[in-house]
Amino acid sequence: MPGIYVMAVITLLVSAALWGGLLYVLPGRTKRYLWLLLPGLPLSALVNLGVKRPLAVMAGQMAGVAPKLGLETPWWFILFLFLLAPVFEEAVKVVPLLLPQVRRLLVSSAAALWVGMALGISFGLGEAAYLAYGIAQSPQYAALPWYIFTGYFGERLVVCFVHGVMTAVVVTGLQHGKGRGMIGYLAAVGLHTLVNLGAVFFQLGLIPAWGAQLALLLPILLLAAIFERLRRDIARGSDGPDSADEIVYFRRGQEEQLSGY
Amino acid sequence: MVAVALKSPASLTFQPRSSHGWVWLILIALLTLVVSVGTTLLLPGEVPWPILLLNIGLGLVIGLPGLALAVCFPTMRYELDDQALTLRYGPVLHYHIPLARIRSIRRRNLSISLWSSLRLPGLALFTVPYSDVGKVKMCATAAADRILLIETDDATYGLTPADEEGFVAALMARMEE
Repeated sequence: MPGIYVMAVITLLVSAALWGGLLYVLPGRTKRYLWLLLPGLPLSALVNLGVKRPLAVMAGQMAGVAPKLGLETPWWFILFLFLLAPVFEEAVKVVPLLLPQVRRLLVSSAAALWVGMALGISFGLGEAAYLAYGIAQSPQYAALPWYIFTGYFGERLVVCFVHGVMTAVVVTGLQHGKGRGMIGYLAAVGLHTLVNLGAVFFQLGLIPAWGAQLALLLPILLLAAIFERLRRDIARGSDGPDSADEIVYFRRGQEEQLSGY
Repeated sequence: MVAVALKSPASLTFQPRSSHGWVWLILIALLTLVVSVGTTLLLPGEVPWPILLLNIGLGLVIGLPGLALAVCFPTMRYELDDQALTLRYGPVLHYHIPLARIRSIRRRNLSISLWSSLRLPGLALFTVPYSDVGKVKMCATAAADRILLIETDDATYGLTPADEEGFVAALMARMEE
């Protein structure tokens, strides 16, 4: 069995545990959103095999260009291939919203955030499996031992969160109407493009593999900041799930003892 | 009874709630050290030098201080005297809170954020940002659950005394004096 499959299983288990834990703890220790880790699993394979690859091949045939990235590839075709993933993946990640069971969860901005996170993480898990399959088909990598693929592990672990935030941007936008949803979608496409920049430079042979991984750091920090901003905005609009548990012992100005004593 | 008079009748020391935060510190520190050293030893010459430096740097920056903090775990305590409340964690953390500057005392569950100086299950130290209450100077044996927040004019402090009622009663008695 190709070593990448062993690492893929480890990656999927750790990612599901870590990001599933986040989906359980941060919304207030609820299992409400955990099942949403399932519907996005096949979407990466579907959009790659059913949309991105046929489009790339078709456009390449029409223009007489091989559908791959290289320094000899015309710049407009590089741009076309570069935008395929952001444009179609950000759209397909919200397809599960067509299910009434998913839409019923969208009762507030906070719910939209967690639904988006769950759908994006689900897509990221499926993408990790799909990429492992692709790597295993390559004779160059198939015989390598599993522990060589630590780069895959680290990258995919983080990319699950990245997909989650980008989809959360779209779904929280959609929660406020189609116009805001479109703005959210375009923002997610822009963020996705930024995230993929290092990988594209690597495929063009402009930077080494480790450089592509380091280039992920900045967008990851940006996305973490966006995630926290979304949470803060939502927290401002509500008392939050835990404020009901608050006990105020003392507040200056009121001087007298308050609840708790 | 957790409060213990140590220095003088006017000085009380309170212990924090028990937790396994020290186990997490040791696990993360050891994992970081093993991964960083392991990469160096298992794959000599195969790892690009920037990644190698990053690994070793992470090992040194996270691993060694993590172990040192785990050793200090039993020293966490809250000292209350006539003028101030002092939160201590070994030699690395020392928050001095003048009683006259305290604006509010409340206990609540906090909403954790991705950003953190040092926040693990069962331990939170230094300035930790929370999504709901902003930045809190933590000296606590819990990351977010049942945190006693003490707000002053300048900052908010988070602590987890084992005997919360006894601690709050003693603190308020000193504030009224």
